[in-house]
Amino acid sequence: MEMDRPDGRSPNQLRPLACSRSVLHRAHGSATWAQGETKVLAAVYGPKAGTKKNENPEKASIEIIWKPNTGHIGQADREYEMILKKTFESICIRTIYPNTTTSIVVQVVHDDGALLPCAINAACAALVDAGIPLRHLAVAICCSVTDNNCIILDPSKQEEEKAKAFAYLVFPNTTVSVVPEKSLQAGSDPMAHGIITSVTHGAMSVDDYLHCLERGRATTQRLSEFLRKNMEPKSTREASKAG
Amino acid sequence: MEQRLANCWRLTVNEKKFIESALLSDVRVDGRGPLDYRKLNIKFGKNDGSAEVQLGETRVMSYVSAQLVQPYRDRPNEGTLSIFTEFSPMADPSFEPGRPGESAVELGRIIDRGLRESRAIDTESLCILSAKLVWAIRVDIHILDNAGNLVDAANIAALASLLTFRRPECSLGGEDGQQVVVHPPEVREPLPLIIHHLPVAVTFGYFSNENLVVLDPTYHEEAVMTGRMTATLNANGDVCAIQKPGGQEISHRVIMHCLRLAHVKAGDMTAKIKDAVEKHNTERALQKIKRHSSSVAVDVCGTTASLGGKQNQSDGDKEGSRLDQLKLKDETKSMECDATSSAQVQSNKKDGSSKNFVGGPSSWDPYSDCVNSDLLKASLASRGHSTPSKKKDSRRETKPEEPQNEVKIDSAPMDTALTSGQSNEGKTLKDAVKPKHKRKKKKGSSNNAN
Repeated sequence: MEMDRPDGRSPNQLRPLACSRSVLHRAHGSATWAQGETKVLAAVYGPKAGTKKNENPEKASIEIIWKPNTGHIGQADREYEMILKKTFESICIRTIYPNTTTSIVVQVVHDDGALLPCAINAACAALVDAGIPLRHLAVAICCSVTDNNCIILDPSKQEEEKAKAFAYLVFPNTTVSVVPEKSLQAGSDPMAHGIITSVTHGAMSVDDYLHCLERGRATTQRLSEFLRKNMEPKSTREASKAG
Repeated sequence: MEQRLANCWRLTVNEKKFIESALLSDVRVDGRGPLDYRKLNIKFGKNDGSAEVQLGETRVMSYVSAQLVQPYRDRPNEGTLSIFTEFSPMADPSFEPGRPGESAVELGRIIDRGLRESRAIDTESLCILSAKLVWAIRVDIHILDNAGNLVDAANIAALASLLTFRRPECSLGGEDGQQVVVHPPEVREPLPLIIHHLPVAVTFGYFSNENLVVLDPTYHEEAVMTGRMTATLNANGDVCAIQKPGGQEISHRVIMHCLRLAHVKAGDMTAKIKDAVEKHNTERALQKIKRHSSSVAVDVCGTTASLGGKQNQSDGDKEGSRLDQLKLKDETKSMECDATSSAQVQSNKKDGSSKNFVGGPSSWDPYSDCVNSDLLKASLASRGHSTPSKKKDSRRETKPEEPQNEVKIDSAPMDTALTSGQSNEGKTLKDAVKPKHKRKKKKGSSNNAN
């Protein structure tokens, strides 16, 4: 079912992506990620010594601090902190540096829809910039179901508010772009086809949700490629400096 | 807690000695002269009133928002200005999240004193209804990267964002002139704040050797220096505030010398800030011109000439409809930028005082106020509906047909445009003609914009 979006995108089209790494000087790793007008800045410090009281000292712990644009930190911000924490706990290899804390500070620069996926992408890029050991990268996407049961990707703030329901989905980045042959083998890596996080708002039918998952997973390839392209130039520059 | 302290950076004795001995020969670690500022870079965000300043490696972001509140009892005719500083943990590992520490409070107070006490911002122009409603301006300063001299950078950021902030225009209406109507930016151009002068903060660092004075200390120099003074001056040479929190004793001669220096630097800084704001304003004006030129074509309650023009457009092939769509999309694109600022203000407004002024009856009359075509477009944009009828369901196509019939009864000039324009912009004209639906959707759209 075709649908015209106010900014002229097709239902499967993402907004223009922009990512820059190492924007801050004091932080161990930092990145900004922009999807259209939504822009988020993430900084990583870590691993630092010690864990908080109710954290497991046998593993590295992740601490998320979410800073909204204006106003005091509210309940929604606490929820975002919790979601990011759980997401990154499953990505980071927590057994390498036990009894340490890695802090990820997320600052919202501008919110124009799909804020949480943008923040997850920014935080993932910042973790890579800081050199924190990760199992695989995470790419996040927002799919929304409109009133006429059309699924659109990466909604803007207006579209999000009008949508019947939307889902924030986080997938592990695909191995397709790295090793094309491997993706064809069905049972090669079961987790490569998994979902890390899914947060939904509003009511949607099961079929719609499964469609969202399919669409989201299909887009992760594009996002993963973009993420990888942004990681690469930095490392070649550093290699040439060392060499 | 000791574990957290273990993460703090400490200056080594070698670094301290090196910095001090280099200063004796008038050389600083980053190659500057002792009285040179680092490179200043001011960037503005999409919203009105958001600015990001980079002073060397120090990075500060500032947002300005406005809210309608009741004024203080002893100042019923004045608006309020409040500064909130946040030392974000991303700026420095020693910044803890949560309650602001003493340096954050001190920074906020310095900036506050510079702006408030010197009456740089005209607060009386923020008054709408004496003793009942005033604008409360809130400045949020986020420190993103701490590389020394946060006060100066934060002050510049606050000034830049205040200069580019636009508050919505409001007018008094209603029978007794007591009802306040806040116009969203699509309806009426938002107004800038009245700023009389720009108080610029200039920070000096003093070392154990009395003759050593540096301007704009870096992070390492801040760890070495023994005394500090921040002088807030404007370009006219008026001293707005001086802050010297203890530390090394300085002779009055050195202080007078520093103030003279600060006067020169304040003039430089003011010129730089004004340049950056000018550039930003011209860009903004260009964007606005694009928006207004496209809005003229879709003017619904204009004269029959414009309606006829539209009719010609829509009488044509699908090209005409595409033109309309494109124009709509263009303006929604540029409107989205402004809609966000209005949404921000509106949401702040709603969070604030309980009185809601958008729903005043005088503002929603669809026939008397031509300006409402912009509101229509806003409601269009916020619903993001599908303009072409070619791909609508049969379910949807029955909807445009109904108001079509009603319109023929209602008004003649609207008629012709409606029937032909219906296929292209069913909802626009439907909204214009049916005040009942329009009111519901307006409220829906204003809620959506929030």
